[in-house]
Amino acid sequence: MSIDVNSWAAKYKQLTNADETIQCMGKYYTCTFMFDMGARKVIVEMHDGKVKAINTDPAPMDSYDFALRASPETWREFAQPMPKPMYHGIFSASFQRDLRLEGNLLVLMQNLRNFTVQFELLRQSGVPV
Amino acid sequence: MIKHSPVTGRYVTIEVDGNEYKVFYLHNGTGQPLICQHTAGAHNHQWRGLLEDEEITRDYNVIAYDLPRHGKSDPPHNKEWWKDEYRLTADHYVNFIVTLCDALELKDPIFMGSSFGGNVALQLALRRPDRFKAVIPVEAADYAPGFFLDWWRHPHANAAQVCASGVWDLMAPQSPDLDRWLTWHYYTQGSEAFKGDLYFYSVDHDLRDELVNIDGRRCPVIMMTGTYDYLTPPEATENTARQIKGGVYIEMEDIGHFPMSENHELFRVYLKEALRIIRERKG
Repeated sequence: MSIDVNSWAAKYKQLTNADETIQCMGKYYTCTFMFDMGARKVIVEMHDGKVKAINTDPAPMDSYDFALRASPETWREFAQPMPKPMYHGIFSASFQRDLRLEGNLLVLMQNLRNFTVQFELLRQSGVPV
Repeated sequence: MIKHSPVTGRYVTIEVDGNEYKVFYLHNGTGQPLICQHTAGAHNHQWRGLLEDEEITRDYNVIAYDLPRHGKSDPPHNKEWWKDEYRLTADHYVNFIVTLCDALELKDPIFMGSSFGGNVALQLALRRPDRFKAVIPVEAADYAPGFFLDWWRHPHANAAQVCASGVWDLMAPQSPDLDRWLTWHYYTQGSEAFKGDLYFYSVDHDLRDELVNIDGRRCPVIMMTGTYDYLTPPEATENTARQIKGGVYIEMEDIGHFPMSENHELFRVYLKEALRIIRERKG
């Protein structure tokens, strides 16, 4: 039984906005990214280190800077409290599993410190698939 | 609280392929020389746990140097290095290590390196088995393509953070936060050299047809890789060790690509086993 997507979004926003590692260097962490989990897609909009909005029902023309796309199984592995090898990050899963990084990867690289920290918050929030 | 470490640092000036290098190294211990190479884009503090490991330094003279362009080892003082793109080659890397060992008058040293230091350990076993008692390639493979990327020094991104966070998940999530963030910190300091180091790691280093020429009975090759290493995953190292005469493969559970830096307490368990095998084979 997966988590309701709106409950997940509220939890992920709360975790991000309360995270000291992100917030201590949150200024200018401003970008928009998609988590494509197959059956479920969300768009997270960041502004100065805070979640401004999470779009839980993206329409075809809704835009974002970059996307992370993988199977629901991979996303569920990302969300384990102690993920198995190769599911423990975006580089490992894209080199060795089915994660694909798409879109404007320069924006990802410009925000990589905070994004990698925020990505690992999935281990606390779970995923809505 | 005042507490002095037994680790001391020195500089030695050497010439390698026409380059004048003033090399910084840390050392502690007595006995069998054990010379250690940091990973690409990092420096010798990655070996901080080993350098202060009382049990190992009782019998081993541990030396951890900064490769030129890293840490406190400058680029060559006799070259206008800022006019060339840095690309480390296997030839130069091997020449540097052998020249440094000669300058320090190390007798039958054991060479240990991680990642691009592990790959050059294989090069040393192939080219100079006469000069080293044994090698310990950590997180190494015969060939490691895919990491010579423009992202490491893209002018539109913060290269320090890209390098440091780009290698973040090369570490295991089980490793202590402090040690992972210290490793991250080292990586923010070496971003200008990282890509040039990876030219060796991912491009110039290719021993796929040469493993058969490495004699692990003459110069023992003890390979060790962590289960969380996505860049040289355990199967890549195991496949390499299997093709080396007398090659040994040790799998390290719940650790990643920077084992000495991300979790020395766990790494030392495996290292002691590697050193035991070398003693058994070579005395």
